[in-house]
Amino acid sequence: MRQFIVLICCFFSSAAHADAIAIALTDDLIEVDADFSGADLTLFGAVSGVDDPASAFDIIAVITGPNGAYNVRPLEQRGIIWMPGDAFRLDNVPRFYAASSTRSITDIAPLPDQAKFQLGIENIAAVDLRASEGSGYPYRAALLETLEFQGQYREALGEVSFVKGPLFTIKTALPPKTPVGEYAVSVYLYQAGVLIGRDSAELRVNRVGLERRIYELAHTRPILYGLLCVAVSLLAGWIAGVAFRKS
Amino acid sequence: MQIYLPIAEIPVDPFVIVFLGAAVGFLSGMFGVGGGFLMTPLLIFYGIPPAVAVGTEASQIVASSVSGVLAHLRRRTVDFLMGGFLVAGGAVGAVAGIFIFRYFREIGQIETFISIAYVLFLGVIGVLMLTESLRALLRNPDRPRQRRKHRSAGWMAAMPFAMRFRRSGLYISPIPPIVLGFLVGVLAAIMGVGGGFIMVPAMLYILNMPTNVVVGTSLFQIIFVTAIATLLHASANQTVDIVLALMLLAGGVVGAQIGARAGRRLKGEQLRALLALIVLAVCARLLFGIALPPSAPFVVEPA
Repeated sequence: MRQFIVLICCFFSSAAHADAIAIALTDDLIEVDADFSGADLTLFGAVSGVDDPASAFDIIAVITGPNGAYNVRPLEQRGIIWMPGDAFRLDNVPRFYAASSTRSITDIAPLPDQAKFQLGIENIAAVDLRASEGSGYPYRAALLETLEFQGQYREALGEVSFVKGPLFTIKTALPPKTPVGEYAVSVYLYQAGVLIGRDSAELRVNRVGLERRIYELAHTRPILYGLLCVAVSLLAGWIAGVAFRKS
Repeated sequence: MQIYLPIAEIPVDPFVIVFLGAAVGFLSGMFGVGGGFLMTPLLIFYGIPPAVAVGTEASQIVASSVSGVLAHLRRRTVDFLMGGFLVAGGAVGAVAGIFIFRYFREIGQIETFISIAYVLFLGVIGVLMLTESLRALLRNPDRPRQRRKHRSAGWMAAMPFAMRFRRSGLYISPIPPIVLGFLVGVLAAIMGVGGGFIMVPAMLYILNMPTNVVVGTSLFQIIFVTAIATLLHASANQTVDIVLALMLLAGGVVGAQIGARAGRRLKGEQLRALLALIVLAVCARLLFGIALPPSAPFVVEPA
């Protein structure tokens, strides 16, 4: 609730910028620890200068995770087994993507905007590959389909709800496999197919606790980590051996 | 409840993992085998990335072999000199294995490679064990079994640097144990197994070591070789998940105790036939995994 009040203050103070929409996150830091099993992300926002926002306006919220490269390999039959063939590499692909909107994105935003703001899974990282729809297209389609199937990409309707007057909330779920890194949250306000306001916020997903220490040690000082693994295994085995000596 | 594995980077159910450890521990206690050859495929079936399954299993075998070797040290059934040569060969083998592993990981074929290696390994071992145990079960009980002769083969004594292995009562060249150690070291590094499966029969039938020192010496060698493999996997590939290893171990030590008790009620031939069937079932599951048409036409992996 406190954030909510802060948000309203922010909103009225930034009203001078005349942007028709403003948002804030309840948490701008999501912590992934050993028992992380996904998180709910709530985004608060307000639109200005409207009496009946629910009927006259449409909102699209896009959460984009850190970028990374993916290899997509076609499975080929060699003899009796299926094995992956040559990799097709796709760079600058977000490792996480979620879009929430009041209605279907194609009904809200014009096509150029969909491509420009990456609205909808079909429009993610579209620029380079859409241009050459030839050889890369099936790989790109496979990548998007796989990430959507794994829950890394999602598109949802009805997650935007108007609370009271110009105030709305967007509730979205981050899956257990949420990648760590910097996230961008962007919200677009449309009226009759025209973009009339936008705002953005940032979000960080961090590893914390023992889980983080183990990860960092393993990747920054791998030899020390390897020695520790061996030492822990030797000790654990010795304890187990002594504990069950009688039996 | 879920625990997020720091290296595998996926959430797992700790009860399932501990249960998996206990189930494989039960079988390994019952049959007197290490269990790595079952655990690694099971981890892959559960969804652990194959490279992490192999690296982690190596560290778990270190732990289970230490608890196993303690009893043999007390009974003085470890041939340290023989073990030393096996370890020397094994260390070089593990390094070679890691290079092979890295190569297949870089070209993106590590999953296929691990699957094929397991299908071949489990298929051959399973068929050999099954035929051997069925023959033993069907053997006419009136006919006395052939007794194995305890003497070292002449060709191993004729090789250079022949020396006396007092605890094994052998006079042979250290070259055969070094070569054997090397082969098992390669297997340990690329498949996440201890290699006792290969090592014990080879020590009995090729090196002609007496039965009482075979298991202790094999465990002694496995500790060192899997420890080296763990260190190499952790430093070269970052694929050892210690949290996963400890959960498996917790289940494994308890399972092994129960399994050892259960094993005493069955005859050796019956045990081996049963184990052979389990081995062949895992082999078949892996084979179907790579031979049946895939559910998706593409594999997508972070680069």
